Amino acid sequence: MPENRPVTEEPRLVVTRPPRRRLRRALALALPVPVIGLVLLVAGGNLLLPLRQVVTIEAKMASKRDFFQDPEVERLLMKHGFRVHITSMGSREIANQDFEGYDVVFPSGQPAADLISRERAEANRPVLLYRPFVSPIVLATYRNYAEALVDAKVASAQPTPAGRPMYYTLEMQKFLHLARGIKKDGDEPRKAGGYRWDEIDPDEEHVRNGNKILAQTSDICESNSAGTYLGLVAFVENQNDAPDDEQEAAKLAQKIKPLLVEQGLPSSERAETYLSPDGQSIAPISVIYEHQFLAHQIRHQAQKGSADDERVLLYPSTRFVTEPQLVALTGDGARLGELVSEDPELQHRAMELGFRARNTNSGGTTGDELTEFLTERHIPVPTTSSDDTRAVLPPLTLLEQMIKIVGDCPDRKGEAK
Amino acid sequence: MRRRAGLLKAGLLTLCLALVTAVLTACSGGDADEPVRLRVLASPDLAVLTPLLGELKEATGVDLRLDFRPDAETKAPDRARYDLAWLSSDRYLRLTAKSAVQGLQRTATMTSPVVIGLRPDVARKLRAGVPGSRLTWADIADAAATGTVRFGMADPRHSAGGLAALVGVATAAAGTGGALRPGDVSCDRLRGFRSGHTLTADTGPALVDAYADHQDRANALITYESDLLALNATDRLDDRLEVVRPEDGMVLADFPLLLLDASHRAAYAEVTQWLQRDSTQQKIMQRTLRRPVNTTVTRNPQLREPVGNALYFPDQLEVIDALLNDYGDPNRPATDQVVFLLDFSGSMRGDRMAGLREAFADLSGADSTASGKFTRFYRGERLTVIRFGGRVLEEKTVTVTGPKDLKTLAGTVARGGYGDATAVWSALDHGYRTAARELAADPDRSVSLVLMTDGENNAGLAYEDFVRRHQALPAAVRADVPTYPVHFGEADAGELRRAAAQTGGRMVDAADSSLSEAFKEIRGCH
Repeated sequence: MPENRPVTEEPRLVVTRPPRRRLRRALALALPVPVIGLVLLVAGGNLLLPLRQVVTIEAKMASKRDFFQDPEVERLLMKHGFRVHITSMGSREIANQDFEGYDVVFPSGQPAADLISRERAEANRPVLLYRPFVSPIVLATYRNYAEALVDAKVASAQPTPAGRPMYYTLEMQKFLHLARGIKKDGDEPRKAGGYRWDEIDPDEEHVRNGNKILAQTSDICESNSAGTYLGLVAFVENQNDAPDDEQEAAKLAQKIKPLLVEQGLPSSERAETYLSPDGQSIAPISVIYEHQFLAHQIRHQAQKGSADDERVLLYPSTRFVTEPQLVALTGDGARLGELVSEDPELQHRAMELGFRARNTNSGGTTGDELTEFLTERHIPVPTTSSDDTRAVLPPLTLLEQMIKIVGDCPDRKGEAK
Repeated sequence: MRRRAGLLKAGLLTLCLALVTAVLTACSGGDADEPVRLRVLASPDLAVLTPLLGELKEATGVDLRLDFRPDAETKAPDRARYDLAWLSSDRYLRLTAKSAVQGLQRTATMTSPVVIGLRPDVARKLRAGVPGSRLTWADIADAAATGTVRFGMADPRHSAGGLAALVGVATAAAGTGGALRPGDVSCDRLRGFRSGHTLTADTGPALVDAYADHQDRANALITYESDLLALNATDRLDDRLEVVRPEDGMVLADFPLLLLDASHRAAYAEVTQWLQRDSTQQKIMQRTLRRPVNTTVTRNPQLREPVGNALYFPDQLEVIDALLNDYGDPNRPATDQVVFLLDFSGSMRGDRMAGLREAFADLSGADSTASGKFTRFYRGERLTVIRFGGRVLEEKTVTVTGPKDLKTLAGTVARGGYGDATAVWSALDHGYRTAARELAADPDRSVSLVLMTDGENNAGLAYEDFVRRHQALPAAVRADVPTYPVHFGEADAGELRRAAAQTGGRMVDAADSSLSEAFKEIRGCH
């Protein structure tokens, strides 16, 4: 089944109201065969569906709509009497805008959720938070580019049982050095403005590209993945430490700004771009979430019988696992939050979509269930080295401050200028 | 699945019918009978999709009323008048009208890169001169400067397509591999490229029509890949255009649909879902020859070509403003004049003179680097060479129409006749009189002076005398004719720098590089 969105036509029909013309046509079609229709309905197990109260949840979310727009998830939710109406925008933007009329907002990471819960608490309208699953931030690329980085001794392939590697470890400090024009640790910058692909691969052995080497993010003012990547870069550039106070944060933000703004005007939807046939031309390295990559490989395997051999992942040697938080603003929202966090079927489906279960992630390894699931499908399983550092994001206010400095972001709503 | 859905649909409706009125109301009630009508500010590039709007309405109950505005992409949308905006690109708005478009829901609907279509004979000629036949924007600029390429391109001040083309060429000209920064555009390196811009229009579709109607006026077309493919598919062309995706990169448009009025988000969701469907994307691709955003649609063979590397698009408005300002009105030909004041004192004999002649040869097309191709002399440019020693020895002016004019210039520089003194400030004063004369003849002309000397002033006017005379010049000459001194040999850098500051120019030092490099650095800094 293609992945385009409006696939779940059955449940939607129950509550959406088709325009009259369609209704009339459908009625004409249906009248001669009422019995067949009814029988099919019973056979489909949906007999009681139209009679049950279906709650439509108004939700705002970013990349985690991948989960809620999955046809199987939609079906499971419908089984429990939920239909989710999604307004799609970046995580930080979700926090920045009004959420009146919404039951649920689901930013892709903790910072935006914290902004929201803090604000609501101040307004004496506390929220409930649910963390149904987690996913690390990764740098998605293509085999040729990964190999160019391996040759430049910036990345190394993870051990792979058979075939070509799908996962690489990216030495973050070395990668950022390239953007600063430094090829070896301890060297002075040799190349003002940083290296270009054709300078680390002059013989075009792997790639033909005159652009600067950098990981492209979506808009830092709007998205959680971009803000998280900023936190990661800041951590690495600050000798594996998060800043402690405003002064330190401001200084660090100025220091890393050149590394993050070189991409110019950011484009939205990194994962969609990455997965598109022209993705490699548009952005050789994109900052996305692991689940977006794994979901693609699982889908590719199911449809084509093998994994996508050209798309590979760079795991930054300094890792950060994002925790999307479902923020329930209403009672119905809380029921939904509880359901997706607790229901075994939904949790299992989340795993099938490449998410890691929250409880099994404590050791930093892939959850056993996900490992098993990938192995069964002959999809390589990413490994985490014990050498890897786990990044710590600065406290919310400092992260916000750094995001604003790096992205020149406008003030949040209601904030004094 | 789909069939089952259809039957289910029937089944459900039957059930509804069989049940009491209350349930029927739940099935069909509400305001769904009335189609939702949304007002859409649309770029003319979207007009090609008009025939699909009926199907959209049928499928979603949303009636999009597209209002095509030539300035849709360069003016902040009037949110009182429009519910949605559908553009070829929202980049310019994101820079100019940040607050107006920040945080809006945005959905890419299709993509197309800005590339160049060349008439087959021109493509062949260009390819023959390039190693590996891999054409770059630098090659296009070079060919435009010689008059080999005469291209059509939409006005970058009005059309997002034209702006994307301009940014693409300028990024290639800067050659940094990054997004353009203000420092990269302080010198306008696109004069040669611009000299080949012979056909223009305010919008993409108007440009395509202009090209088809005036094929004698251009032999190349810079626009979206989709426009070139669509034009080739018609019988309007004498020669089909060969689509060339320049090696040094392109700018991609993603035709975003923006939700301006958030109260219509339900209808917006319906519309975007429909647009992203396989079947719709397929139709959009067939109709527009743009690339689907949906990854599951099988592409037409001609849309499987790699798009080429996407260039980073600048994120600073001042960069875009500088580019647009320098490029000016494409309907008006660029009339530039450079007056070269060349020191022919005895100390220039030997290697220095050889360096000077090489510099002129490089500017005449001998320099095959990308920067050389962007900064070379170009057709229509007016060039004056003034040789001086203790006094002005010779003055020669040509308007470049072809190689013979450049040969005349080279001859002037090659002739010996050295002077025995160095009258730097008298020569510069003479240069300003030449500039004043030329400006009086053509006030629109952009004139600049290049002063190359390898020694200290030891004859004629003192620097202070020159300054006095400069201050007495007509305002237009004083304010708009900068001098770019080239410091070489034993020249007095301090005085040259002062002269640059006095006239609004900038001194370039040839001591660390070569005269060729120094001239290249100056070129285009009007």
